[in-house]
Amino acid sequence: MKTLNKSIIGVFGTEESMMDALCRLMAESFEPAEIYSPYPVHEALRALNRRSKISWASWFYGFFGGLAVLAFLYYTAVIDWPLDYGGKPFNAFPSFITVTLVLIILIVTIFTLLTFSVRSKIYPFKKAVIVDSRATNDKFIMVFDADKVNRDQLLVSLQEAGAEEIIEK
Amino acid sequence: MSYATEIRGPLVLGNKKLSQVSEDIISPIDSRPGKWWFIAMFVASLMLVYGAYALYITLTVGIGTWNVNNSVAWGWDIINFVWWIGIGHAGTAFSIFLLLLRQTWRTSINRAAEAMTVAAVICAALFPLIHMGRPWLFFYIAPYPNTRGPLWVNYNSPLFWDFMAISAYLLISASFWYLGMIPDFATIRDKTSSRIKKMVYGILSFGWTGSSREWIRYESVGFVLGGIAAVLVVSVHSIVSTDFASSVIPGWHTTLFPPYFVVGAIFSGFAMVMTLMILIRKIYKFQDYVTYGHLDAIARILVFVSLIMGTAYLTEIFLAWYSGNEYEGFLLFRSRITGPYAYEFWAMFICNALIPQLFWSKRIRNNLTLAFIISLFINVGMWYERFNIIVTSLSRTYLPSVWVSYHPTYIEVGLYLGTMGLFSTFVLLFFRFVPMIAIHEVKSVLKHNEREHGMGELKNGDQ
Repeated sequence: MKTLNKSIIGVFGTEESMMDALCRLMAESFEPAEIYSPYPVHEALRALNRRSKISWASWFYGFFGGLAVLAFLYYTAVIDWPLDYGGKPFNAFPSFITVTLVLIILIVTIFTLLTFSVRSKIYPFKKAVIVDSRATNDKFIMVFDADKVNRDQLLVSLQEAGAEEIIEK
Repeated sequence: MSYATEIRGPLVLGNKKLSQVSEDIISPIDSRPGKWWFIAMFVASLMLVYGAYALYITLTVGIGTWNVNNSVAWGWDIINFVWWIGIGHAGTAFSIFLLLLRQTWRTSINRAAEAMTVAAVICAALFPLIHMGRPWLFFYIAPYPNTRGPLWVNYNSPLFWDFMAISAYLLISASFWYLGMIPDFATIRDKTSSRIKKMVYGILSFGWTGSSREWIRYESVGFVLGGIAAVLVVSVHSIVSTDFASSVIPGWHTTLFPPYFVVGAIFSGFAMVMTLMILIRKIYKFQDYVTYGHLDAIARILVFVSLIMGTAYLTEIFLAWYSGNEYEGFLLFRSRITGPYAYEFWAMFICNALIPQLFWSKRIRNNLTLAFIISLFINVGMWYERFNIIVTSLSRTYLPSVWVSYHPTYIEVGLYLGTMGLFSTFVLLFFRFVPMIAIHEVKSVLKHNEREHGMGELKNGDQ
């Protein structure tokens, strides 16, 4: 997430109160820049139209990884140094399936995790940009970019929507 | 996304608030461990030292220090390898199958099961490695450009498949486990007052904040890894079984082996999960999280899988008779059911196929002492199963002139105890430094509790 210079933060105590407030605020055209929660709130993710294309990327890795593995097996077993194992054909395709399957899984895992790390900027030694440390414990945090909203109106709306606390940073 | 079933009782008891869930689960990390932890760690270290000595002797003198021989070329090493790999199946099976099936009751148990998986697979991987004789050349099994031709590996061999599958399984189960812990490490980072812990868990949490963008990708990655690792759970033990089934040894050369091994692995793994969860529940007073309902569900799975195991044993016996193959018949009827290894066969049959049938009784399922004992019986029974498969088949094959009996040396026993020590050490460190229950996942099921049951309401005698 990009760092916000000036933010208005609404703190909610429960998922339900946060969701009620989110629906209400979005109806008033206040879309939060980000929401932080101790666990994934699927309704909120849908309301904010958050989507992930990681599963498509994984499919891509699996498909091309599989082709690469088969090409590697064919090259090594048929072209580079063919060996006769009990009269089996050099291109012993059924025997290749198991290795291909396992390596596809390995490739998908490694590249999917790397994609997740790059896209979400989650990696070792990263210093967390913590908006409110209670977001990983028991609070639901809504963050608005103060430059993009009518501050006074938002404060009133947040209060009416049941925010436990409103913080300006 | 959450699958709510009304037939299950509440998943978390005690009218918990979100902050209470964090505090309860983090408290063992924040407080000094009890005396029992140090005693257990001491015992585990002793086993580990014995194992290290056995490993030292094995590496410096060679596998001639074991009692394996030309007939029984696979002994305790492969028995223990298959046993550990089987135990290592439960974590992933638990997390992944139940995640894909949207079974929310897994949330209190999956973390410990996954930790167990990683530890068990590390223990398992040690055995084929040292059985190679020259483990420092283990990389010969990897297909890499080399100066020996290049001579590539034999892709037709199940032993090569096994190497690939176990390496992949270890990496994926460890990744899956770690991925699950990232949000919980962030919770510890944000809650703890200790500067050292804040720093350590800050590093471990990879900068997690709990934003909606992180959550959507996190869940997506979880499902992708879950989906593909489910295939791996089935394939790893199928591949282990083809190490046996593709040979022509009586008792091994059977198409029953892949499903039999996979089901057996899940059986032993779930039994170990039950053993561990009853301990965690008792020691850390996690009764509100690991409820009777959770253990009841595991017991029901065990009784069902036990029936499959019993059917597999009977199928082996039936086919030995029905096929008319005299070697199969001799093995089953004269070496296993009766004969020199009858004790091991009946130990396996009674522990795996008969004793778990006690779980049909709800009173026994709810008696955790009995459930704990039965889970131990299953673990022992599954070890005997691997002993039966390996030793009875190899010790009396086609030619009576190569028949031998097999007993392990103290070095082989030491290696086994060493892996027990390694596993116990890993689990004890897990108890001490990692949230034993997935905090964020448990929080996400609290609302299910509220909707379906009224939060904290006791049902079906839960306490």
